[in-house]
Amino acid sequence: MTFDRVWPRAALFALSMLAACGPVRAGGVGFGDEINSPGDEGPAYFGFVREVGGPGIADAKVTATLKGGGALVTRTDIMGVYKLPGLGLDINPNDVTISCAKDGYAEATVERRPPGDAKDPIETECYLQKK
Amino acid sequence: MTRTIIAAAIVLLWAGMGADPCGAQTLAGSVSSAEEGAMEGVLVSAQRAGSPITVTVVSDERGRFRFPDGRLPSGDYALRIRAIGYELDSPRSIELGANLGAAPAEIAVRLRKSADLAAELTNTEWFMSMPGTAEQKRPLIECMSCHSFERIVRSTYNAEAFFPVLKRMAQYANNSIAERVQSRRAEREVNDDFVRKLAGYLASVNLSKGPVWDYELQTLPRPRGRATRVVITEYGLPRQTIAPHDVRTDAAGKVWYSDFVENVLGELDPKTGALREYAVPLLKPDFPTGALDLEADAGGNLWLAMMFQTGLARFDMAAKTFRIFPIDGMPNDDAMQQSMVAPGASNIDGKVWTNDVARQSIMRLDLETGRYERIDPFKLLPKGHVHAPYGMATDAANNLYFMDFGDENIGRIDAKTGATTIYPTPTPKSRPRRTMLDGQGRLWFTEFAANKLAMFDTSEEKFTEWPAPAPHTYPYDVFADRNGELWSGGMASDRVLRFEPASGRSVEYLLPRPTNIRRVFVDNSTNPVTFWAGNNHGAEILRVEPLD
Repeated sequence: MTFDRVWPRAALFALSMLAACGPVRAGGVGFGDEINSPGDEGPAYFGFVREVGGPGIADAKVTATLKGGGALVTRTDIMGVYKLPGLGLDINPNDVTISCAKDGYAEATVERRPPGDAKDPIETECYLQKK
Repeated sequence: MTRTIIAAAIVLLWAGMGADPCGAQTLAGSVSSAEEGAMEGVLVSAQRAGSPITVTVVSDERGRFRFPDGRLPSGDYALRIRAIGYELDSPRSIELGANLGAAPAEIAVRLRKSADLAAELTNTEWFMSMPGTAEQKRPLIECMSCHSFERIVRSTYNAEAFFPVLKRMAQYANNSIAERVQSRRAEREVNDDFVRKLAGYLASVNLSKGPVWDYELQTLPRPRGRATRVVITEYGLPRQTIAPHDVRTDAAGKVWYSDFVENVLGELDPKTGALREYAVPLLKPDFPTGALDLEADAGGNLWLAMMFQTGLARFDMAAKTFRIFPIDGMPNDDAMQQSMVAPGASNIDGKVWTNDVARQSIMRLDLETGRYERIDPFKLLPKGHVHAPYGMATDAANNLYFMDFGDENIGRIDAKTGATTIYPTPTPKSRPRRTMLDGQGRLWFTEFAANKLAMFDTSEEKFTEWPAPAPHTYPYDVFADRNGELWSGGMASDRVLRFEPASGRSVEYLLPRPTNIRRVFVDNSTNPVTFWAGNNHGAEILRVEPLD
């Protein structure tokens, strides 16, 4: 299933969920409020941050920047792997840019692999060059 | 829209409460029991007749204790102790003379095994004792906001009877305590399946099946070593419906507190014990009253987020009057609720940050126009997730850092552009709660549901987490003192945690009574530093003075 076919359905689903739930939750966090509605997430983002021609880089900063404002930031683990949770279904993954940074390095290239399906996690490899 | 409201100030001077500046004969002695002989880690408390002030010290490894000179004015004192599994046998009172130069009054405190161990358990110890999975126990971290677990485990409801009780309680406002329950005006959605599961679990750990619990009661050890080197002072407040939430000292050494239930701001003089209360104007008479977040602006004036009364209140410390900033610029409906306020850098751009709990959003007040704007910091995240902007801190440019108490994120909002950056914590479902930003750009905060203390380095954009030393303590707040040590407390363990992040060394000071701690504060002007907090369910202010 292609992204173009899935995206309008996903957007319609998101809108219907919003209409059903209403915009207001009356008051804070209480028991049961940790339950999240399933199936309302867009694809997650994951990948490696690597040195060009070298190993993965631990503790590198990875930023998912949304076109028009807003960002989600995480760091790579000891293997250089990162994972960012899925964003809202109303966020077009094509509007999300992955970048990476680490002291002593400059960003070289970012390679985004096209997902097989719109629900599949989006893999993006980020390569850093030692300064 | 702005208006100035003159606050009604109520002055309460407790009879006989003033400290005796000359001091008197002090009190010292030993603690023992038939079972253990000399006992370390027993809290010995002395309260003078007619005074709301109680002073507590802890017995050392030889079972010896001594109150500091000058802390106990002459008079008749009631004595009490805290040592899990024991109760006071004798003596129950002592008379101290006025002769400052006299040798300390020496008493031999005898303890006997207590008849009802369950009555002495903290919430942490109930968590440890109750059978069940972590998933089954997790919802109980919400219960502590209003009452202790003893109320649950001593109940005799079966699952069917528990269901309507839980449904009813879900409609209570956060600012409810056993002495005063307040109902929400806007109905709160509750997941019935979840409530049924919870009701079933609670009915499996209470007394619905018989007169005694079918599991062993687990207890934490008594204080030892460094944990005994402390002096604790309790300042009892005159009504049980006073629920001190946030506590802080001012430059003059006065102690200020927000009241989570009554619509007042409190001022305590710890030297004389004098208490003044300033009535916060009532904006919505039929709505729950009380506030929690109490913060200072750059000029030293105090701010309150007015919860279900809505809007913000600024208290002029010189004039002792409130200026109210009611909701303006958006509908002020029954669900509107401001729990947090961040005025610390409002002198930079004339803006004060707050939140709208019901809509999971950030709000910002323009001091010049009196109008609020709304910012949705979670607009890029999935809509079905529960978020709750909670603890707040601002940097020198009035950029906002906030805790997502409903989920697992720290957020930053740029003061100039409004752009939001979300930082998920390394531990999932951590539920970050209260926070402070130190002078080095380090955001210290608690991961309430993860039982961790944490730090977010705002320049490196990097987290560090430390598990709390004891299980099930669920820290509510943390304060980094001038020495780089962390101080924390919460609603579960009746203990104050002192933690060195560099070494991992820690000490926990047991408190004299069941104590529900929210915001914590450290006065860095004393040597050693002094810890302050309120007992939210116990109508008292606490001062903890470490001796090292």
